[in-house]
Amino acid sequence: MKADVLFTPLRELGGLLKTRKLLPVELAELYLDRLERLGPKYNAVVTVMREHALSQARRAEGEIAAGRYRGPLHGIPYGAKDLLATAGAPTTWGAAPYKDQRFDFDATVIRKLEEAGAVLVAKLAMIELAGGMGYRQPTASFTGPCINPWDANAWTGGSSSGSGAAVAAGLVPFAIGSETWGSILSPAGYCGLAGLRPTYGRVSRHGAMALCWTLDKLGPLAQTADDCGLVLVAMAGRDPKDPTASDRPYRYAAADRTGFRFGVITNVTDGCEVAVAENFTRSLGVLRKMGTVEEVTLPDLPYEQITRTILQVEAASAFEDLIESGGIVGLTAPEDRHTPYARDAILAKDYLKAVRLRGVMAREIDRVLSRYDALVAPGRINEAPVLGQEFRSAISATAKDVMGAVGNGAGLPAVCVPNGVGARGLPTSIQFMGRAWEENSILAAARAYQSLTDWHTRHPKLG
Amino acid sequence: MSEPTKLDPETDALFEIVRQRYGDRLTREQLDELRTIVRAQVEAARALRRIRLTNADEPMQFFAPYRAEP
Repeated sequence: MKADVLFTPLRELGGLLKTRKLLPVELAELYLDRLERLGPKYNAVVTVMREHALSQARRAEGEIAAGRYRGPLHGIPYGAKDLLATAGAPTTWGAAPYKDQRFDFDATVIRKLEEAGAVLVAKLAMIELAGGMGYRQPTASFTGPCINPWDANAWTGGSSSGSGAAVAAGLVPFAIGSETWGSILSPAGYCGLAGLRPTYGRVSRHGAMALCWTLDKLGPLAQTADDCGLVLVAMAGRDPKDPTASDRPYRYAAADRTGFRFGVITNVTDGCEVAVAENFTRSLGVLRKMGTVEEVTLPDLPYEQITRTILQVEAASAFEDLIESGGIVGLTAPEDRHTPYARDAILAKDYLKAVRLRGVMAREIDRVLSRYDALVAPGRINEAPVLGQEFRSAISATAKDVMGAVGNGAGLPAVCVPNGVGARGLPTSIQFMGRAWEENSILAAARAYQSLTDWHTRHPKLG
Repeated sequence: MSEPTKLDPETDALFEIVRQRYGDRLTREQLDELRTIVRAQVEAARALRRIRLTNADEPMQFFAPYRAEP
């Protein structure tokens, strides 16, 4: 055992546990040791849950030995972004003003993963308040900037920064992140991982920090698209404690398929780094082996302004007390300490116009997507940003991200997987975005892409 | 972010709300940056306002009447 199971896909890892070739306690010990020893190197961890994890692992070990196997996540360790409430540990939201915050209950997603037999080993670092105050730099977390396991001078992306670092560094087999606009796809893309943003409402948000009530989604970061499907099925489902959680049943369809239809938005690589655009062009060649690829033009709508306006207003309202009291001065990023004040100047009528236009956007994009299994695009416009520098972002209107604006604004699922390396040797990625509730279609496409490429089998050199 | 912005009456009026509410906690440089951000917000709002909607285009927002279960 030991280090040779790192980066093993979940289906295979689960098979080893089910057949007792691997025991949950020894697997938990392996990852706990790595979290304690290497977590600080990447600023990836807020709290290591040693006692809690070993208790869950011992229970899993007993259940599996007794023939009460719960499924493919039984006995598998994972980490959770530190915006998910967990009884028995702080839940810091990545922000100094909340560093001692505790809840006496578990978020629904934590409870559901426990029911699936997964073992919570750590609460993972994140950008303060999930980036909702307008941060522009990697240091915007009270635990420091998350360091990319591929390059100590590069950031992981955010706001699910620790989730990206921990999976890429082999500190956990999978992690839970959240996305309001880009916070799963960004760290997954920059760290060479698979990251799944589910349809809005697929996963209960109960117990997760609210940033934007109509934009927040929870989803997994892992080694492969198949891993993401295995985790999603454990997370998904209705929840009386979250009225937006859908009662649409979700069953992960892992069977292979062919004959995909892909759409590519005209000029989707505008603004991308050269290597990102080149890798995407090469990826399109792979996709043509899987099906058809067509260029598509979206209707002319102010997509980014729609989603940005909703995000800015909802985040300012969710943290009204912190902002109005001046408590934001306790945040880490200098810009987070004053720029939220500007949101008082967004008019209610303009916010409602954005929410009305969201309906137009949702209908238009669904009409386009009805002809395809997925729209595809680069996962990120660049390689991971350098530490110590401000980065460009669609949320602060310093970069374009139509796919992110449409996908998050309309609540659509997307998965990204690695598709090459850039000029600095860091991972680049491709994203597949589908119609609402079509996680199975985009996961099938991403799995098929990964079956024809080997980028997901490459890992950073680790200490 | 702190470059001076061109005169724009709507930006000026909305920025004044921010200055009145929070000006006593902000430096000159921070106020300049906030004016730039307000200007960007106004530009975004204008992009939204340019799109005409019909009376039937409702906000895409979840709402349900509430009644406590017995």
